[in-house]
Amino acid sequence: MLEMLDYPFMQRAFVAGLMIAVLASLSGSFIVLRRYSLLSETLAHVSLVGVAVGLLFGMSPLWMAVLASLVASWLIEYLRSVHGMYSDSVLAIFLSGSLALAIVIVSLAGSFNASLFSYLFGSILSVSTQDLWVMGIFGSMAMALLIAFFKELYFIAFDEDVARAGGIRVTLLNFMLVSVIAVIIALSIRVVGTLLIGALMVIPPVAAIRFGMGFYPTTLLSMAIALISVVIGLSASYLFSLPSGAAIVLCLLVIFIIALVINRR
Amino acid sequence: MPLKFSPSLFEVNNLNFERQGNLVLKNGTFKILPGEYCAIIGPNGGGKTTLVRLLLGLEKPTSGAITLFGTPQNRFRDWNRIGYVPQRSALVDGSFPATVREVVGMGRYAKRGIFGFESVEDKAAIAEAMELMGVSDLSNRLIGNLSGGQRQRVMIARALASNPDVLIVDEPNTGVDVESQHRFYELLRTLNRTKKLSILFITHDIGVIAEDITRVLFVNQTVLISQNPAEMIRCDEMSRLYGTPSHVVCHNH
Repeated sequence: MLEMLDYPFMQRAFVAGLMIAVLASLSGSFIVLRRYSLLSETLAHVSLVGVAVGLLFGMSPLWMAVLASLVASWLIEYLRSVHGMYSDSVLAIFLSGSLALAIVIVSLAGSFNASLFSYLFGSILSVSTQDLWVMGIFGSMAMALLIAFFKELYFIAFDEDVARAGGIRVTLLNFMLVSVIAVIIALSIRVVGTLLIGALMVIPPVAAIRFGMGFYPTTLLSMAIALISVVIGLSASYLFSLPSGAAIVLCLLVIFIIALVINRR
Repeated sequence: MPLKFSPSLFEVNNLNFERQGNLVLKNGTFKILPGEYCAIIGPNGGGKTTLVRLLLGLEKPTSGAITLFGTPQNRFRDWNRIGYVPQRSALVDGSFPATVREVVGMGRYAKRGIFGFESVEDKAAIAEAMELMGVSDLSNRLIGNLSGGQRQRVMIARALASNPDVLIVDEPNTGVDVESQHRFYELLRTLNRTKKLSILFITHDIGVIAEDITRVLFVNQTVLISQNPAEMIRCDEMSRLYGTPSHVVCHNH
């Protein structure tokens, strides 16, 4: 089984997958605790618009996905925090709106369905060395920001008003968090796919929370769950020729069910 | 010996606040001095919580000026000098992954800065606040697994961990049993007397505040101040202020 690591495409897929597992589970902890889980799903759909535009106009789908996801994340946060709109309503509008836009672009072009399929469900074959560099650079920046403001983001997730009253720059950090999540999602779609990246962000923290620990051990357990799922999922993808994203998400679901059974309350 | 100038903790001048065109507070003008034990009372919807949120910068006044520790609010940066325990803070999501130690530690976050690890001073302040509130033995328990009274003490420990000069507590007894309420008022008195901590708290439990408080702020769109709480908390005065017949029930706390 280990011979799969002899293939450069599998090496790239593992490096990318493990990076994404850490980033997605870490950032996912904050959105889960803030009842904002659908943000990941919504931004993933928005990324799809970027991918479609990139493919249509011959630009880098990855960069276009990053751009579309970032702009949408700022708009969502602006509507939520400045205009006081309900989070779930804003997310619903962006989720369905972006999917509609992506479908229209795809139907207008009509020639890149195969390429788009790999972005929808993830493909271990599609991760290039250049993608790895982009993921490495932007992933490191995202990770640095998450670690730098880890305690503040935790405080905001626990009690936004008290955090603000204590002098923490809540609005700025909220915009930073959604921006970081937008970048992580856009970077992840090569491996996990736009339709499935939400699961990698949400299921690990939700499963880890079931174990009833403090935030720091919960976050570490969440990362461990994501890493294990990526390793098993990518291996299954190689061995059984499955789409990598779907295989990873199924592993996550199995772990979630185990966590649920172990920690019945 | 020269007199040391001690500015007001809060100085409010002509404060007005409207929400979506509706007047919530008008012409609020008052001062809160260091060491005061001050109650904010008034009917529901009268603007008590809004007043506290305005003081904390969580709402922006429509007009008027707020000065904190002698500094205009828009230039004030020492927010950790104010400890805040909001309304219903004891009603925590039961599954939130936070231990008592982690929640109390949040009180030090604003002092730690980016990448800031917990210093010896942070650890000592957290331990002292937990000890003071009697929650040291709950350190590793999840906040969601505690009783309402225990959670309330944890939230106050969090506010005290930043070593504030003033503690603002909004309706502290929401969702808390009577026994815990008694202990809570004793605790506020102790903090004010022994730690010289200024306290500003919103309450509906008028009878319990009469003995100790130095000042009462009655908030019902306008802000009335009484230096003589015992006088203000008379049935006829309460009836006049609340606009409905009121009976003040005194109970031994």
